Amino acid sequence: MKTKGIPKYIVYLLLVICASIPLFFTIPVPGKPFDSSADTFKTLMALQPGDTVLLASDWTGSTRGESKAQMISVMRLLMRKQVKFALWSTADPQSPRCAQDTISEVNEMIKKEGGKPYVRWDDWVQCGFYPSSDVAINNVATDVRKAFGGKRDTDTAGKLRPVFESPVLEKIQKIEDFKLVIDMTASKTSDYHVQFISGKKVPLLFSVTGVMVPETNVYYNSGQIVGYLGGLKGVFDMEKMMEYGLNVPDKDGKIQVASEKVPDKIEGFPGKDNIGNGTKYYPTLHSALLLMIVLVVIGNVEMFKANKAAKKS
Amino acid sequence: MVFLLSKAPTQARKPIVWILTFVSGGVFVLFKYWPQPINFDKAKNLPNGPIESVGSLLNDLTSVFGTISQVLTAFMLGLGIFSILRIHGTRIAKQQKDWFFSVVLLVTMFSMVVFGYWDFHIRAANRTIDYDNAANWGFVNMGRDFLFEGLLQQMDAAMFSIIAFFILSAAYRAFRARSVEATIMLGTALLVIISLMGAVASGWDSAVDRIATGSNHDLLVNLKISEIANWITKTLQTPAITGIKFGIGLGTLSMALRIWLGLERGGK
Repeated sequence: MKTKGIPKYIVYLLLVICASIPLFFTIPVPGKPFDSSADTFKTLMALQPGDTVLLASDWTGSTRGESKAQMISVMRLLMRKQVKFALWSTADPQSPRCAQDTISEVNEMIKKEGGKPYVRWDDWVQCGFYPSSDVAINNVATDVRKAFGGKRDTDTAGKLRPVFESPVLEKIQKIEDFKLVIDMTASKTSDYHVQFISGKKVPLLFSVTGVMVPETNVYYNSGQIVGYLGGLKGVFDMEKMMEYGLNVPDKDGKIQVASEKVPDKIEGFPGKDNIGNGTKYYPTLHSALLLMIVLVVIGNVEMFKANKAAKKS
Repeated sequence: MVFLLSKAPTQARKPIVWILTFVSGGVFVLFKYWPQPINFDKAKNLPNGPIESVGSLLNDLTSVFGTISQVLTAFMLGLGIFSILRIHGTRIAKQQKDWFFSVVLLVTMFSMVVFGYWDFHIRAANRTIDYDNAANWGFVNMGRDFLFEGLLQQMDAAMFSIIAFFILSAAYRAFRARSVEATIMLGTALLVIISLMGAVASGWDSAVDRIATGSNHDLLVNLKISEIANWITKTLQTPAITGIKFGIGLGTLSMALRIWLGLERGGK
């Protein structure tokens, strides 16, 4: 039986209100990190200064709410740990620009907290955009020197040189020489990374959008990836772990962020600016989800009432 | 290759395309099944014997065919631009319905191309200047940033955000406990949604912890929302998605075989 219910514009208005109001306040939200987030933190914190990471940035403005926040949190960690990275993209021609703009933003943050800003060529290189994600990722997995062989980037003197002459990639001969492969994605590139790279002897880490979490869980549960950041919750977890550490007791002996999956005690970056959009937007996610639950309940109550009325008549 | 194809007789074009598809596909298939030498470093060693030689050759060929495939994909960009120009150019020339929107489309497209390349040219000509620092920007760099970051990215994000309104409206109208199956799905979905709400999940888990400690019943710990959500994810969701992916994989494989062997309509 059909019911009239709440008009659409009221539903939309309620969402606007619920999504906007929490943005004006700082609301501390408790929360235990997901196992996948804790594993991500552990893997990233295990990197040593001078290690090189292959970072695929496959997101654009459409998912910036989640993807950009994820990239900022991971970049902050990599830069604080002085880990070098080679950036590349396969999903969308806009992706390299989005990533570079984000790196510039994080560089400014690092400068503000007194850290050493990352220098292109010395600390990171841009390996460019490649069409056909499946073919490009297969090429990199098969022979990374051949796949990036034709790419050039600007050195610190302003000269264009092959990327393999840079301090970032000079020691890289094959995919296994990277300490970690990360794919920050909002598309199918994660599947191709698993397909072609998970079989190599290099750990694989993802940061994916909220809707990709169920399918990414399959790879995490099977052990094909070592961890992943899923949606806004992933960023929130990451920011909390960077702020309070993982399983680290505070002055009062209370553990702010605990994980049974990762029992190790891992220090974060206390005193640094760790809080970002994950923490800012998480209360908004709460209120929007709460609104959804309330509306689903109302919808069902309406249906039962209508069914009852129909039976009586 | 495109030039040669255009010169070939019409009847010969389909077989040529199929032969190229078969050969390039065959290289990838052979590469996957041909035994590859373990820890073989091409930079330091020569292949040892015919098996390793073929393996090494196949390795090289996959890169070559992969690059060709990427170049062909890149051509699609040109094809897309040509198609947009043809369709919207005709609409403007004939002043068909909504022709003004076509003008807006072409003007924005060309503005982005002009500012994008101009910005690229300036950056390439002055490589010693740090253009990541906005203080070094001129009019063109600002123009590029306004068009890309200020307009395109924001509109992209806005378009994607609109989905939230449809999801909410659809959840309210369609998420109903009409049958036993729908009720199970509704209940499961609500539990997973609650588990994503850190504040609620935290309160729920603490309450269960308190009850479990007080009553000395360890089994009660399983009623934590994080445990329930974990169980749903690992025991129900993961196998279901694995099954779906397996099905998709089989479908993709059969489709790939049809294309590779030229069995698709218009293949040979």
